[in-house]
Amino acid sequence: MNVYFIIAYRNILQRRMRSLVLAVAIVVVSLVFSLLLALVQGVKNTMIGNGTALMTGHLNIAGFFKLSQSSANPMVTKYEPLLEYAKTQIPEADIIVDRIKAYGKVISETDSVIIPMWGVNMDQESNVLGRLEIDKDANGKVLGDLFQLKDRGTMALFAVHAKKLKVSIGDMVTVSIPTQRNINNTKDLKIVAILKDVGMMSQFNAYMHSADAREIYQSKADSTGQVMIYLKDISTLKTVEARLRNDLSSKGYRLMDKDSAPFWMKFDRVAGESWTGQKIDITTWEDETSFLKWIISLLSALTFILTIVLSIIIAMGLINALWMSVKERTTEIGTLRAIGMQKSKVLWMFMLESLILSVSSTAVGLILAAIICQTLNAIALPIQNEAFKLFLMTNTLHFAFGLPQALITFMSLVTFFTLGSLIPARQAAKLSPIIAINQS
Amino acid sequence: MQPIILENVIKNYLLDKIQVPALKGIDLKIDAGEFTVIAGPSGSGKTTILNLIGCVDTASAGKVVVGGKETGTLSEKQLTDLRLHTIGFIFQSFNLIPVLNVIDNVEFPLLLQNTLSPKERRERVLKFVDRVGLTQYAHHRPSELSGGQRQRVAIARALVTRPQIVLADEPTANLDSVTGQNIIDLMKEINQTEKTTFLFSTHDHSIMNQARRVIRLHDGKIQANA
Ligand SMILES: Nc1ncnc2c1ncn2[C@@H]1O[C@H](COP(=O)(O)OP(=O)(O)OP(=O)(O)O)[C@@H](O)[C@H]1O
Ligand SMILES: [Mg+2]
Repeated sequence: MNVYFIIAYRNILQRRMRSLVLAVAIVVVSLVFSLLLALVQGVKNTMIGNGTALMTGHLNIAGFFKLSQSSANPMVTKYEPLLEYAKTQIPEADIIVDRIKAYGKVISETDSVIIPMWGVNMDQESNVLGRLEIDKDANGKVLGDLFQLKDRGTMALFAVHAKKLKVSIGDMVTVSIPTQRNINNTKDLKIVAILKDVGMMSQFNAYMHSADAREIYQSKADSTGQVMIYLKDISTLKTVEARLRNDLSSKGYRLMDKDSAPFWMKFDRVAGESWTGQKIDITTWEDETSFLKWIISLLSALTFILTIVLSIIIAMGLINALWMSVKERTTEIGTLRAIGMQKSKVLWMFMLESLILSVSSTAVGLILAAIICQTLNAIALPIQNEAFKLFLMTNTLHFAFGLPQALITFMSLVTFFTLGSLIPARQAAKLSPIIAINQS
Repeated sequence: MQPIILENVIKNYLLDKIQVPALKGIDLKIDAGEFTVIAGPSGSGKTTILNLIGCVDTASAGKVVVGGKETGTLSEKQLTDLRLHTIGFIFQSFNLIPVLNVIDNVEFPLLLQNTLSPKERRERVLKFVDRVGLTQYAHHRPSELSGGQRQRVAIARALVTRPQIVLADEPTANLDSVTGQNIIDLMKEINQTEKTTFLFSTHDHSIMNQARRVIRLHDGKIQANA
């Protein structure tokens, strides 16, 4: 075995207590970092999982129709050729559905809420909306059946809205929606299912029959809200999106500029523009859920701040320990220099010490993190705090610990600690060989 | 093999912005294969001379030639290489690597040189460990050895690369007189069989008497060069 490695390794063993404390500290920071990364990824996964069931395809052909300059209707008129295009020209697609968009008030006897709503065709939705969980009441009774949305005059609400409106299955609500001609059309709908909340996203969705939505808007059967395309492999998203843009624009469709926002945040802007007629808006799941991006950003920021603070503290400990090691070993280093070891080798010998410590401890931290993630995912730890549920967009804690999380943790920590160890290692390399001879 | 040559060597140390003269014009030639002692009272410049010849320090003025090279003209890196290939060091406090056993300590300079095959290296190391009589202790760490045994390891380490010159600054100062005498005997024996140049400093008169040549220093100058 390489003698530098042996010296470094044995010196670590020699200073057992100091090394152990450092190793434990590095294990902890590697564990914390990778767990947080896994949590962020878990939230991201839940977000895309829920988001793509609730309000968006991986890729959407959406848009606005403007009857007059000041109007803005979130719809795609004459959508059949577009649907046909999606079905025949996008081989990457797995599922294709279309939904009507609505935005208005849901009124009960006691209260009302303003929410974006979807007119759905349940025949298409079994693998999309059908994935959502139905809420249970206090006695464990399942609150309705989502597939009753196949019947006209029905509505499914999330628990958060049902609670606010004080309605349950079988109750009637009135949906009131402002239409193109700036009058409010209303329709009475029966609640057939209460959906279990999925954090913040539940606040922005409710569902009715697509024909009811068309009726309220008095729109024709050849118009829809958006064609939602689900890909077999989400990594093809960017290429498919680019192709879609190209194809539609060469077919003569007018495309809206890319604007990463959900449709209900685009009304004002579109209403302020002077064009009329139909424009197509091609959006991705990221655009449609971008109003929740801040949660991911905040979580990521917290992860990095916490990790950086911890890492700096530990790097200081590591630097200090190596510094002490250099002090204790001045004669030894001087001797090595005297008998012909180059400065660069001395530097390497000390870096190796920190490398061995950080590589092995980070690896242990990662193994622990993998075990902890597996265990916690298996017990599906329920989140008790309502605010956390809202914030993390899930009811049970979910960690997604994979190769990217492990690699990010490993690379960044090992690099950071190795760079830190350069400071004392350079100090060691600077020592003069004279000290080996002059000490007595 | 080239002799060691010092020509009008001056060495000043800077201590709190004051120049402290340590060597005040040394002229000296040491031929290959000599067994020479540098003697002199404390502060006379023995260590300073050895530092210059050992290429761990350079002269303030004058010429120092070691292994055919003028050390003042060499870079730090070249000096290190010169030390590795032409000089063996024996230190007063032995200065072994504490975490390595006898064999590994002796092998270390060969690993730095990286010229021998693993098999040749191993044979060479075992030969020198045997030469200093420590075969039995080959796998002991320095902390498990006596002072005399440690200095033997140091001698093996200094010799294992077959250097032209072995330098030793008071190699027996930390040893009792009997052990010290054994070490000197060993060095002498190796000097005769291997033709290695030995140059060492000492305070011990009985050891001085055994040297073939004694260079007496006083106040940074050579007083007697017998
Ligand atoms: N690093 C230094 N800085 C300043 N002065 C030094 C330094 N090293 C040596 N000196 C001075 O140089 C002179 C010669 O010192 P040197 O160590 O060569 O003497 P020595 O003969 O080896 O003495 P000793 O027998 O005590 O080891 C002394 O006056 C000493 O104080
Ligand atoms: Mg001295």
